[in-house]
Amino acid sequence: MEVSNYWYFLSGLTLLSALMVVLSKNPIHSVLYLVFTFFCISGHYVLLNAQFLMAVNIIVYAGAIMVLFLFVIMMFDLKKNIPDSKTNLTKLAGTVVAGSVLVILVAAFRTIQYPTPDESTFNPNNGMVENLGKVLYSEYLLPFELVTVLFFVAMVGSVMLGKREVGDRNF
Amino acid sequence: MTPVIALSLFGIINLFLGFTFKRQSLQVVTLLFIICSMALTAMDWNHEYLWFGDMMKTNNLSINFSLIIQLAGLLVVAFSNGFGKDEVYTQPAEYYAILLFSLVGALLMVSFQNLIMLFVGLEILSVAMYVLTGSDKRNLRSNEAALKYFLMGSFATGFLLFGIALVYGSTRSLYISGILYNLSHTAPESLPSFLYAGIILMGIGLLFKISAAPFHFWTPDVYEGAPTIFTMFMSTVVKTAGFAAIYHILDVTFGGFQKNWIITVYFITIITLILGNISAAYQQSAKRMLAFSSISHAGYMLLTVCANQPSTSSNILYYSLAYTLATAVSFAVLMVVAEYQTGRTEKPENFDALNGLAKNNPSLAFAFTVALLSLAGIPLTAGFWGKFFVFTDMFNKNLTYPIIIAVLMSAVGIYYYFKGIISVYFNSGEIEKIETSFLFKIALWSACIGTLVLGIYPTLLKSIF
Amino acid sequence: MTLPILSLIICIPLLAALVLASGKLKGYAQQISLGASLIQIGLLIKLALGYQTSTATFQWVEQHDWIHFSLGSLGQFVAKYHLGIDGLSFGLIILTGIISSIAIWNSDSIKEKTSSYFALIMLLNASLMGCFLAKDFLLFYLFFEFMLLPMYFLIGIWGGPRKEYASIKFFIYTLAGSLFILLALLALGTSYIDPYETALAIDFIQPGQAFSAENAQMIQTAIANGEIASDKWVHSFDAAVFADLKNCYYKSILHPDSAWVLGNLSAREWAFWLLFIGFGIKLPIVPFHTWLPDAHVEAPTPVSVLLAGVLLKIGAYGWLRFTLPFFPKEALEFSNILSGIGAISIIYGAFNALAMTDLKKLVAYSSISHMGFVLLGIASFTAEGWQGAIFQLISHGVLSSLLFLLVGVIYDRTHDRSIQNYSGLAQIMPAYTFITGLAFFASLGLPGFSGFIGEFFSLMGSFNSQHSSAIWAILGGLGIILGAGYFLWTFQKMFLGKQYLKNSEWLLSDLTRKEKLSLYFLGISSLLLGIFPSIIFNLTDNWVSHLINQLF
Repeated sequence: MEVSNYWYFLSGLTLLSALMVVLSKNPIHSVLYLVFTFFCISGHYVLLNAQFLMAVNIIVYAGAIMVLFLFVIMMFDLKKNIPDSKTNLTKLAGTVVAGSVLVILVAAFRTIQYPTPDESTFNPNNGMVENLGKVLYSEYLLPFELVTVLFFVAMVGSVMLGKREVGDRNF
Repeated sequence: MTPVIALSLFGIINLFLGFTFKRQSLQVVTLLFIICSMALTAMDWNHEYLWFGDMMKTNNLSINFSLIIQLAGLLVVAFSNGFGKDEVYTQPAEYYAILLFSLVGALLMVSFQNLIMLFVGLEILSVAMYVLTGSDKRNLRSNEAALKYFLMGSFATGFLLFGIALVYGSTRSLYISGILYNLSHTAPESLPSFLYAGIILMGIGLLFKISAAPFHFWTPDVYEGAPTIFTMFMSTVVKTAGFAAIYHILDVTFGGFQKNWIITVYFITIITLILGNISAAYQQSAKRMLAFSSISHAGYMLLTVCANQPSTSSNILYYSLAYTLATAVSFAVLMVVAEYQTGRTEKPENFDALNGLAKNNPSLAFAFTVALLSLAGIPLTAGFWGKFFVFTDMFNKNLTYPIIIAVLMSAVGIYYYFKGIISVYFNSGEIEKIETSFLFKIALWSACIGTLVLGIYPTLLKSIF
Repeated sequence: MTLPILSLIICIPLLAALVLASGKLKGYAQQISLGASLIQIGLLIKLALGYQTSTATFQWVEQHDWIHFSLGSLGQFVAKYHLGIDGLSFGLIILTGIISSIAIWNSDSIKEKTSSYFALIMLLNASLMGCFLAKDFLLFYLFFEFMLLPMYFLIGIWGGPRKEYASIKFFIYTLAGSLFILLALLALGTSYIDPYETALAIDFIQPGQAFSAENAQMIQTAIANGEIASDKWVHSFDAAVFADLKNCYYKSILHPDSAWVLGNLSAREWAFWLLFIGFGIKLPIVPFHTWLPDAHVEAPTPVSVLLAGVLLKIGAYGWLRFTLPFFPKEALEFSNILSGIGAISIIYGAFNALAMTDLKKLVAYSSISHMGFVLLGIASFTAEGWQGAIFQLISHGVLSSLLFLLVGVIYDRTHDRSIQNYSGLAQIMPAYTFITGLAFFASLGLPGFSGFIGEFFSLMGSFNSQHSSAIWAILGGLGIILGAGYFLWTFQKMFLGKQYLKNSEWLLSDLTRKEKLSLYFLGISSLLLGIFPSIIFNLTDNWVSHLINQLF
């Protein structure tokens, strides 16, 4: 099969599972469909030759974050169906806003001319892990190392905020 | 680059020092660290460096911004009183360490040459602020403020990232020099239309951080909920760094595309000025009033960004400095008075809690008055010259309507700033003499005197800027 | 070396304010400030001895560099610390010095926080002097805005029952006016280019060399032809630069040919109106006068004296020194409207004064009415009108101080200012009655007193004016009649007739020696000025004729 057939198949699968995320009644089902959607998008990344991104997407997004989602859903008691408390006016407003965004997006995408890659400098293997690693550790070394500070702040901050103080209640 | 490395190292050292040092000593040590890093920054004066292959740039402009940001950090540490109250501030070493790390993020935001560096710097600064906002764990307002700031800030960062992606997609480069080169060598018709979307999205992401309307809804709640010392940091450092970033993006990188983004930023400026000033007039809480006043000052600084004159960077520097000094002093006074009034009044941060301050605390009252006058823009204070230079820029660009609105809103501003002066001097209340530490007094008086000296002789620093 | 007298005049009260603010010499606050004020008067006398009335140029000029910032390709901005006096400001600063001394001398009613009070009075004095002495518009603007602060605190802390309302109203009102002036100041600063400074910047001339009119001409044509690079243009805020239309860059917003129009008025006309209204709020002119009655009624007596005696004059001074020399053509265009506003101020103030039951409010509205004559005289654009207006400024300074001190006399004794509560005071307080009668007659314009000269010449100028119609002068004359009405009725109600006091326990002693000294001094000054008006006319003659001939 040609590549474009793969592309159509994957896109169809992605859209279908994304729709099922929104439409399914059971939240656990929604989460699972979302995981499936992420897998499909990782498939798209493979088609774009972005190996590393595919791996990271699956590990981080589908793996870590969705598992966190599942944990949270587990902790809530979702047997009772939460009534839909939105008024009709809100629903109408939401429809209008989302609909206009859709129209604008369609109009924009129709008139966009995508720039074509520059033939001399285009390297189709840019997304391969080896090439990515080379760039990350040579050209982008500084931001790579400075992200350490960001992680440090996050770690110190989360420990600081989560640490039990004298007199705190025991859950 | 050296101050970035220095501050990161100092932050780590601070964490370790937390095991052995007492709070007051930690404060002094942190002060020394910041002074050391300011000296390292100033050593590069009149040199131009590009670091790590055009990732970061050191020139006089970035040195000036870095010095103002570190000065703000210095004032915050000096006013922090060593985080004395045990019940509220439980881990002083961590606070100081995170403050130093956030200074690193701010320094990255003022000297970036690559959009990734802007993003990393913004994230470091923001995450540090999210943590510090929520650091008062027992207080529900603090938790709410932290969550609100985190959620809305992450959303804004998402906008910024989307904008960066679109800009990269249309200009094929993440470096500012690369973007400028590619944009100038491409015919305007063949530029993809999502470049303009990218510019606006990046602008929106950054405008959120400096709380321009209509992206300002987080500011009053976050400023009010956070502990006052961290509000002081937020309103001075984050704003200065944010404006430096906005200047680099909108005026330097995309200055040639001004006719695309000017209308949006024009309207944002006008709405910011009107909303900030008019909402501030309705506030009963002095802290919330200062939050809205910071929104309105963002409006004034955006005026000069709109004007995009050769003197814009110098005016942003001067205005940031004047605003930093004045805001630091006003929050400092609010902090000590609120601390004093916490057991005694229901709302220790309202204007009523300040009643009668002048009777037993004349120096606090005088400093507060000078700070409020500088924020209001009364002559003989640095704030007046900040506004004057901004208005001069606008006149040079012949943008007359925003000036009229800015001038009218200045008059509105007088009303709510004078509420503070009235409470302090005219109303009567019972406030005894409040004891403040030696460092607090030095910081208060030097900021005050700085405001007055810059008000009388602005050329002192304007010639350097 | 010539003494920098003008800077000393401004610095001495500032020093006194610093000394007083340190709070060390609490008991001697009044003495210190009185001493500083007397030193200031001594300096003024020295000034007067060296002053030459024959020239119209500035004397005792001091000029130092102060602010300099460059805007890259848009040029450079220069503001100078530039002081000088001439015929217009000379009379006014002597008035300031004397009225300040009298206000300090009469501050016995202030009992608490005296050192802060006198420190604020000294600050106010310094700013007022600075306003009158500054030749650079930006420097003037700084002093002009700064003087609002001490006045705000003075009214707000030591004032009457509604002091907070009155003080914040005063502050916001006058600050709004100053913001209008700021707009005009910025427009002027960015539109006009200083030929002397530009010549210095391009090394055409060395500092200290003479700069003739031909040199200025050369620079102006060079700029217009684009021969000088735009980053060498120097905008300065000097009043002399703004007064010369040729200095206006032809592409700027304030050039007569500029296309900027907002609602039928060109940019120059807008700038004129902004300056007019900004200074007019201080005068005050009628639509913008509502701050005055509140501020006067709530202010303590010595502060009222300073407010009425000196602060109101700055409005007119601003017109004469800055607005009219900068925009002469636009002013002429609107001279009818200006005269109309003046006449309306006179009539409206007088009618309001007729209706007042509070003595201090009555004097406040009579102030509004008398300042209307100043506007009427100025708007006539004739030499006698302007001379009359300036004379009226000084005369009103003396007389309104006198009137407010008189109100203070009765208020200090009884804390009640209602006219209906008193009758037949002549029998208990003869000296007070005498001096009040003198003051009232002088104010309403009795010949022989200074009020008559001021009003007469203003009306004469307005009648003779070719630019505004005579109807306004006639209305002004009507205002004099109304003035006679309210003053004489008040005099009759309070002082003549049967003796009656609302509260029979009031202890109404006659004037003390201290009060007599200041009141008689002011009364005699008014009489002297009325009999020998040439004292003032000699000072202002040269300046007025020079300006009128040059501009109109």
